[in-house]
Amino acid sequence: MNTQSAIEVRGLRKSYGGTEVLRGVDFDVAPGEVVCVIGPSGSGKSTLLRCLNLVERPDSGTVTVAGACLTAPSVDVDEARARIGMVFQHFHLFAHLSVLQNVTLAPRHVRRLGKDEAARRGRAHLARLGLDHLADRRPAELSGGQQQRVAIARALAMEPEVMLFDEATSALDPELVKGVLAVMRDLADDGMTMVVVTHEIGFAREAADRVLFMDGGVIAAQGPARDVLDRPDGPRLREFLAQVL
Amino acid sequence: MNGFFHAFFDLPDMLAVLPSLLTEGLPNTLLIAALAVAVGLSAGLVLASLLLSSRWWVRVWARCYVDVFRGLPAILTVSLVGLGLPAAGVRPFGRDPLGYAVLAVGMISAAYCAEILRAGIQSVPPGQSEAARSLGLSYSAAMRLVVVPQGIRNVLPALTGQFIVDVKESSLVYLLGLAVGQRELFFIASEQQAATYNSSALVAAGVCYLVITVPLTHLVNRLDRRLRRGSARSRRIPRPMPTAAAGTENALEIQV
Repeated sequence: MNTQSAIEVRGLRKSYGGTEVLRGVDFDVAPGEVVCVIGPSGSGKSTLLRCLNLVERPDSGTVTVAGACLTAPSVDVDEARARIGMVFQHFHLFAHLSVLQNVTLAPRHVRRLGKDEAARRGRAHLARLGLDHLADRRPAELSGGQQQRVAIARALAMEPEVMLFDEATSALDPELVKGVLAVMRDLADDGMTMVVVTHEIGFAREAADRVLFMDGGVIAAQGPARDVLDRPDGPRLREFLAQVL
Repeated sequence: MNGFFHAFFDLPDMLAVLPSLLTEGLPNTLLIAALAVAVGLSAGLVLASLLLSSRWWVRVWARCYVDVFRGLPAILTVSLVGLGLPAAGVRPFGRDPLGYAVLAVGMISAAYCAEILRAGIQSVPPGQSEAARSLGLSYSAAMRLVVVPQGIRNVLPALTGQFIVDVKESSLVYLLGLAVGQRELFFIASEQQAATYNSSALVAAGVCYLVITVPLTHLVNRLDRRLRRGSARSRRIPRPMPTAAAGTENALEIQV
């Protein structure tokens, strides 16, 4: 066991009905490492990410994040999830709360911060992402790009050790993608440990320390971004890259 | 024709009954209805969460309760609770018929509220609770802070309909016999009608009911529109940017 890994995944399997979506996945992520997961749709990359904080329960295998084995029966999953930030394709901002309340909800009710302290920190997180002027708006009043940046601020407000991004820019209009990628880029530069499921090959090339290529429920290729993306190995990866580039 | 008119709209008759309608009937009706709504909503919320349980042996009890109390005539339930319980020696409210009326109407309301709230909770997109859970909130905290508040908003109009039913069913307390001071709108009016053989008192009581129920509907509809404006949901529809604030409200209104 490598205790230095931020994330350690062993023998992960997951089926829906009769279809096996993950067919034995193993990988490690070092602290501060940025790993991009690419692959055709249906390859299992979103399912893999969703298993990392147990939004989906794997059928078998182990997931260890930030030292806590999430798949052990005795573990406090809520406590572990509080240390793992997750950003969704469709934002999932809490529609009935203001932007600031979205960001302070978990710090107040999970970390038990006082209202004022949570608001102070929440505003700081919003300011860092250039969103402080939107603190009192409702999510529905924001553009998609703004909503996704609020979702990132909401995750960061818990001061997570790991951030998971599930196709964070796929639901955005093209002109809004850049702003969200820039925020993710800054996070990566600040040393955040990140697992990013993405179709943005350009982002993977620039920001990823390592790229995983998922195909048919397994990791079909992996390595440094330049090797995987610029000198692809194997016909499936070459075919995929030819389609997305 | 004149006689027909006077049978319903005899002004002196109405004025004679008006003081007791307003000072005794209206407060008692409002009291029974408000307490029954409180009982119905809170018990309904508990029942709704049982209906949503993943364990079948939990669901089955809530399902039985809902099916039974939605399926019985209100007049039968009120009789069973208000006459049956005291007769069987169970007297949580002593001899106060209002207490039994609140309990009975609240129990019926709970069954309807449970179904309404269950539907509301299920209408909240699963991504909302996923996002809440992934932040470390427990199941119950995610329900309490994220899912239930949105679920209730989604079914506000249906809940209002139920509150109106509760207001009207408060009149069934007349079955239990009321002393002076305890009488609600319908009881006062029907006593007057029996004495004068003129229905004007009933019409006056009817107006009092409408004075409660009609504004209630419009008040909640207004609240509903306001909340909807704040939580209009759309995924990929381009949103007006903050600079176009003037046009924002209209654009959202159309999407709702």
